[in-house]
Amino acid sequence: FPLSCPTIKVHISRRLTPSPFGRPSKNQRRGDQRSKAVPSSQKMSRRYDSRTTIFSPEGRLYQVEYAMEAIGNAGSAIGILSKDGVVLIGEKKVTSKLLQTSTSSEKMYKIDDHVACAVAGIMSDANILINTARVQAQRYTFMYQEPMPVEQLVQSLCDTKQGYTQFGGLRPFGVSFLFAGWDKNHGFQLYMSDPSGNYGGWKAAAVGANNQAAQSILKQDYKDDATREEAVELALKVLSKTMDSTSLTSEKLELAEVFLTPSGSVKYHVHSPDSLTKLLVKHGVTQPAAESS
Amino acid sequence: MSIFEYNGSAVVAMVGKNCFAIASDRRLGVQLQTIATDFQRISKIHDRVFIALSGLATDVQTLYQRLVFRHKLYQLREERDMKPETFASLVSAILYEKRFGPYLCQPVIAGLGEDDKPFICTMDSIGAKELAKDFVVSGTASESLYGACEAMYKPDMEAEELFETISQALLSSVDRDCLSGWGGHVYVVTPTEIKERILKGRMD
Repeated sequence: FPLSCPTIKVHISRRLTPSPFGRPSKNQRRGDQRSKAVPSSQKMSRRYDSRTTIFSPEGRLYQVEYAMEAIGNAGSAIGILSKDGVVLIGEKKVTSKLLQTSTSSEKMYKIDDHVACAVAGIMSDANILINTARVQAQRYTFMYQEPMPVEQLVQSLCDTKQGYTQFGGLRPFGVSFLFAGWDKNHGFQLYMSDPSGNYGGWKAAAVGANNQAAQSILKQDYKDDATREEAVELALKVLSKTMDSTSLTSEKLELAEVFLTPSGSVKYHVHSPDSLTKLLVKHGVTQPAAESS
Repeated sequence: MSIFEYNGSAVVAMVGKNCFAIASDRRLGVQLQTIATDFQRISKIHDRVFIALSGLATDVQTLYQRLVFRHKLYQLREERDMKPETFASLVSAILYEKRFGPYLCQPVIAGLGEDDKPFICTMDSIGAKELAKDFVVSGTASESLYGACEAMYKPDMEAEELFETISQALLSSVDRDCLSGWGGHVYVVTPTEIKERILKGRMD
């Protein structure tokens, strides 16, 4: 087929045939995603929306940004690093009486004995990535007979995520993670990663709905030498201020901590609903959020 | 000399009353030379399942590491520990995957299942499971072990008596096998505790 044919021509011809699934075209062979049928009145940048594998003229990857939009609508999660542990807290969006609450959780997942994560975004995408992370951690342990360093695990997962922004023609994962873990080289660590595959180490971070508000409150109130209890208190306060819902009960939250037991092994502990209710009462955040700014 | 007899090993597991015992020798040799006298053949998968591997030492270690890999993923996904019967099926499947280039070891699996019922089984190097109600043996000293266990075993022994029986059976059998010995390593597991003991035997 004519390789000299400029791509723009192919796009124009697609716009004239408004079938939502597009025609099977030569581009199929390259495994690219079909572009959506868009009316010609839309702005120029729409042309670059549908393909993850190309930059827009402004140098942006729209699919990645749209993925981050999806996360901005999902339940928030906050992570706070303290000197004797890492605290992860998540807001549950799916709360219905009909929901069968077994031991499995919606926001917090264990990746290995020494690493756990909180999730914000599309849950089905998260499940795939969590499984990938678990297998990567075990592969490392099988090879080196020691637990995978936290940063390496995060990096390895982010490399997977990055692959979906550069080749294959598949959409990025619509998930942001907060990884909390401990290793013998760097102690307790907290990392945040997003759909682009970028990650960073943080002292306190927020993902999901209202994350900018949460991040700015954290910036003001975070103290470097906080203990785990103080970190839990800060996390509950920040979440109560930024959550949209009118009342804060233990059914809407999940709280987990990563810390060292006296014997020196890493423990990942998810609080039970009763324990959470006691904490909410203790820190005085069970009141409806309407009264806080 | 067969490759299964290269390093030398003796492993036995016995069923008691709501408990089980699993024991192995401690010698690691290279044919007739003894290299180590503290070789770990019995490994814990979780608090209620143990596996002991006899045969070629490198495969003993690698197979164990692969099983830990699979069990950890199982634990993370199912949020519970593996039952011993399930674990035995997993080991059998992993061994059969290498049907035409096998791991040169024979596992002995022992665990406490539902309702604290003890479970033991052994299999050959390509995964043929053999369940038993009383005892299972494996390794270079297996023939002596069969005889000793058959003579000394009785059903429904309590933990202390089970320990004595399995230790006597192990030590007397390895004394007749030049490739295994140098003491014993015995785990007696009840629903409430795991007791690990080292036996002093003939140091030859």
